[in-house]
Amino acid sequence: MTEAAKPIDPITFAVLKSAFESIVDDMAYTVMRTARSPIVRDVLDYSTTMCDAEGRILAQAKTVALHLGAVPDAMAALQRHYGDDLHPGDVIVFNDPYDGGMHLPDIFMFKPIFAGARHVGYAVVICHHCDVGGRVPGSNASDSTEIFQEGLRIPPLKLFDRGVRNKTLFDIIAKNVRLPDLVIGDLESQLATCMLGERELLRLVAKYGADMLEGFLAEFLDYGERLTRSAFAAWPDGTYRFTDYIDGDGFDEAPIPIKVAVTVAGDGISVDFAGSAPQVRGAINSTFSFVKSATYLAVRCMLDADVPNNAGVYRCIGVSAPKGSLLNPHFPAPVAARALTGYRVADTVLGALAQIAPDRAVAAGEGGNSVVCLGGYDSETREPFIVVDMINGALGARAEKDGIDAITNPTQNMSNMPVEIMEATYPLRIEEYALREDSCGAGRMRGGLGIVRQYRLLAAEAVMQLRTDRHANPPYGLFGGGPAASSRNILSENGASEVLASKVTRTVRAGAVIRHEQAGGGGYGDPLQRDPARVLEDVIDGKVSPDYARSGFGVVVRDGRLDLPATQALRASRAKAA
Amino acid sequence: MIGLSPAGADRAPRNPVGTRIGVDVGGTFTDLVLTDAAGRVFHRKVSSTPHAPDAAVVKGIAALLADAGCSGAGVVEVVHGTTVGSNTLLQKTGAPTGLITTKGFRDVLEIGRLRTPGMFDLQWEKPAPLVPRRYRREVAERIAADGTVLVPLDADALMAVAEDLVAAGLTSIAICFLNSYRNPVHEQQAEMLLLARYSGLKVTCSVSVLPEAKEYERTSTTVVNAYVRPVLEDYLARLERGLAAAGISAPLLVCNSNGALASAETARTKPVFFISSGRAAGVVGGARLGEALNIKDLVVFDMGGTTASASLVQDGALARVSEYEFRAGISTPSRFIKAGGYMMSVPTVDVAEVGSGAGSIASVDPGGLLKVGPVSAGADPGPACYAAGGTRPTVTDANLLLGFLPDVLAGGERRLSHESAAAAIRDHLAAPLGLSAEAAAHGVREVVNANMARAIRAVTVERGTDPRDFTLVAIGGSGPVHAADIAQLLSMPRVLVPACPGVFTAMGMLAGDVERYFIRPFPCRLDMLDLAALEAVLADLKVEAKAALQAEGIAEPDMVFAPEVDMRFRGQETALAVPYESAGAAPLKAAFDAAYEAMYGYVSHDVVEVVSLRLIGRGARPGKLDFRSAAAVTAASAPTGMRAVYFGPELGRRDVPVYDRASAPGRLTGPAILEGADSTVVVPPGAEAVADAHGNLLITLA
Repeated sequence: MTEAAKPIDPITFAVLKSAFESIVDDMAYTVMRTARSPIVRDVLDYSTTMCDAEGRILAQAKTVALHLGAVPDAMAALQRHYGDDLHPGDVIVFNDPYDGGMHLPDIFMFKPIFAGARHVGYAVVICHHCDVGGRVPGSNASDSTEIFQEGLRIPPLKLFDRGVRNKTLFDIIAKNVRLPDLVIGDLESQLATCMLGERELLRLVAKYGADMLEGFLAEFLDYGERLTRSAFAAWPDGTYRFTDYIDGDGFDEAPIPIKVAVTVAGDGISVDFAGSAPQVRGAINSTFSFVKSATYLAVRCMLDADVPNNAGVYRCIGVSAPKGSLLNPHFPAPVAARALTGYRVADTVLGALAQIAPDRAVAAGEGGNSVVCLGGYDSETREPFIVVDMINGALGARAEKDGIDAITNPTQNMSNMPVEIMEATYPLRIEEYALREDSCGAGRMRGGLGIVRQYRLLAAEAVMQLRTDRHANPPYGLFGGGPAASSRNILSENGASEVLASKVTRTVRAGAVIRHEQAGGGGYGDPLQRDPARVLEDVIDGKVSPDYARSGFGVVVRDGRLDLPATQALRASRAKAA
Repeated sequence: MIGLSPAGADRAPRNPVGTRIGVDVGGTFTDLVLTDAAGRVFHRKVSSTPHAPDAAVVKGIAALLADAGCSGAGVVEVVHGTTVGSNTLLQKTGAPTGLITTKGFRDVLEIGRLRTPGMFDLQWEKPAPLVPRRYRREVAERIAADGTVLVPLDADALMAVAEDLVAAGLTSIAICFLNSYRNPVHEQQAEMLLLARYSGLKVTCSVSVLPEAKEYERTSTTVVNAYVRPVLEDYLARLERGLAAAGISAPLLVCNSNGALASAETARTKPVFFISSGRAAGVVGGARLGEALNIKDLVVFDMGGTTASASLVQDGALARVSEYEFRAGISTPSRFIKAGGYMMSVPTVDVAEVGSGAGSIASVDPGGLLKVGPVSAGADPGPACYAAGGTRPTVTDANLLLGFLPDVLAGGERRLSHESAAAAIRDHLAAPLGLSAEAAAHGVREVVNANMARAIRAVTVERGTDPRDFTLVAIGGSGPVHAADIAQLLSMPRVLVPACPGVFTAMGMLAGDVERYFIRPFPCRLDMLDLAALEAVLADLKVEAKAALQAEGIAEPDMVFAPEVDMRFRGQETALAVPYESAGAAPLKAAFDAAYEAMYGYVSHDVVEVVSLRLIGRGARPGKLDFRSAAAVTAASAPTGMRAVYFGPELGRRDVPVYDRASAPGRLTGPAILEGADSTVVVPPGAEAVADAHGNLLITLA
């Protein structure tokens, strides 16, 4: 295709770039307006993309960024199954991590788009469905041991074949999930979105012609590559290493290392994960496509804001991970909780890149959203309920800016479920939703504060499933900045409180109170160099306690006032000790 | 200037006859329009006085009254759109404000909805909450999701917290308790207690501004109200004093974000409904103009110096949204983004805005991409052609170079330098792109047009509406310079340029109605609808609406009520509002299915649920401006000259006749340039332009 592509003038190029961005945002908006499950419509765990006929990304909406690097492998699976057997009116869905997917709850939908007989592109919508069956409500357990426990596996299949609805597939999906109305409703939402994308792409083809679109794509990829290579060329050659950890695999709390070596050579880089943990028994294994996606994303975060996220950027980045490792597992390893591994891959790569570009670096954030999943049956109506709540987040400190209190993980762009919606929808009461005092890492710039969320179960019983992390391995600080506070899970039942592990699946009963205290963001630079006035402001706001002001920053605050002489003395003695 | 025949008067016999003044305060200029008892229209532009915006208003009104030879005593109403609300948010100059919440939830305001407006940007800054954490306090109380009181309000704790906040110097307090939308008793109790104890304190409780679910949206809306309230109150008081001193005792009406008018009294207590006061008035004016010309489907396109905006009028009705975010800098046209601003869930005219305007700076990025905006040269130093220190090329420089603009702008006030414009475009664009200066300038125009077309797409294509069925109304100083090209880009057939595009927003204010909105949650499945209960709630709302409109001075025969039912498929979050016309669940279901399919292209078979009931109470304002009665004063004459204009590589540079707009022929074929006192109109080659008796120009594109 690219060989045949005609060169495009710079004006049409800019116009088309804007047009594609508008289409994918429009698609994203359609999902939000029409989806049924809170995980999609409120938390916004989905993504929308427009691709060319070879599956190369033309534009992606400001949705879950981590999904997008996985599109090329998904496209390869589609090609393996169908080749040229794609026709107007076809809609393909799949979720199998070993056949183009990421983990089972993420159902990909591809709609090939034809202008007359010519295949011109694909509308792509990926949604995290609230349940796809399996042993645990929400299909997200960390402690499964093979993929067969995780739910319904869908290889690339036609949900619509030349416009004809595949009743068999719809019925199989509906029979194998706990909340068929929501799952089918969300599939309908994906479908509506694909149709909208198709309509809008065809409008562009009608105006500019399919050849022009090909010309655009060739230039768009080159443009992304040019920007990326010019940035890499300015990075000093060398190999930069970093190691970060996941707390445990759901069975064993032994830390699981992720090791990276980023090698900069001229205007390209290679990212190698040799030395990372072998694949584990639990479900935090990650497909390699998802590892690549997380890697691209981390590298992309160190480039200028205007660099497009497309295959032209990826061409400049080599990624490798040993087969049989956590980051490239053998079938049938479980992968449902792989998002966590994606977050940590991004943290690890960012840790290595911090050494290359300290001015753009960010200390580690909360470590990825914490998932609190509660599923069961309403005591009165016997209707099933499944809460999939994702708690975000805190950004780590930057070179010249504090981190951000309460913010989505940068790999995503997710939102939260309103407390009033949760309480009106589920047998739950939320008792607290707040910033977590003292959770920030100390530094010349402090990290962001994490979040506390506390739930009381009102139903008779529920299966509780927690996928959290950063208990034992807190978010790292940079260049002398301290780590953030570790996360904690606390269960109070029958008058007794218990600190839980980071990954838990168990049954809880009415009145149980589940509290998650999320990790904050790491600090940046020497905390003793932080302006004491800023520490005082945080103390007055109750974001930092007087104790932490003293222990973390060497700042003495008494009765809401800064004690400058005591601060100077304390800082001097600390500096001497160090 | 256009004359106005008094024909409008006999359409509404109750009209008090007199002078009406519309005032639109902008960042750079304050625009004023006056219609007098004889039906004449006068308009003026005066420099704004940002430190005390009322000063420019009072001064401008005095000048306008002098122009018209009218007295202050003869003025029957002043209609006003103000940027005081938005500037207060932009510059963070609101009142020191406190927030009192349910125990465990004081951070709801700061946590927000967590998203970021961009991706991959680790250097982003989240805007600081309007109430810092130290002034967000909690009290014990709890209402369940079904409205049951679980924990009674701890009044002692409330008073202790209030004492603290007042002692800290706060003058405005917001109260937002969890689930108060289901049962407001604790908020109302708290408000009474605070008002009884502190006489000067401003108290806003959340149910008084937004009795709807979702704690962040409600809290944020309430806080914006509390934050802006004392500032807007002071401003309106000053303005009323200034008007009184000018001998004007007529009522002051303020334009709200939804394009409707309300008394200054309403604006004082519920300022959150007035943050985008004025911005919507141009759309209202566009709709009225369309009504007068029998054009019911319009896109109103407003292009200024730093931004351009678009909004939809469909079948005569304005498109509205139920929430929006105020953001420093530029708001993107994507309604998908929900982050990084101050959220207000209030009815607002759906205006999509892009950071592209006449002053937008064009540049070439390191990857070779031509970009225009969002950075603007502003008024100082201004575009390179102002030769006032600006060296970066702007859209205005490109327009000058291409021949679209005259050498002298705005009635001789400013002479433009071709040399400076050409140098800026040559050095910063043509050289790095390897293009001629002309091609680069044309490129700037193409790119900025594409950016601005995004705003139009956002309100048409993104809502499933085909722009090709719409007429583009071009307003704002620069709107008519670009409108025809943008219309062609979107295959829109016609462009309508009103008689005075530059002051059209102030005119729109004189064409507005009084409106008030009422909403009540009414959750149920549609197939289990209790029709009697629904009718009872609507009847209640109507009583409320009637009282509110009466308080705004509307007589009962002038009132119109429009009930609506918000519905959605089970499990969805977003509802569609369907007019409530005939009794029964079946017609409602049919109307919902039709509206849903029109918007999303499919209909589900799932259960439909009712979310809430709404009532819009509208009061036709006696004596409002009717564009049908406007008459142009024209005497066709020959072109004032010829200019070479570059229309792109296909058409090349052409000699184009330039007319004075006031005396241009009533019908002409493009290419032509029409120059008016407040704007330049570009009629592209092959287009047919027809002026009507009222001074409006309708351009039909080739």
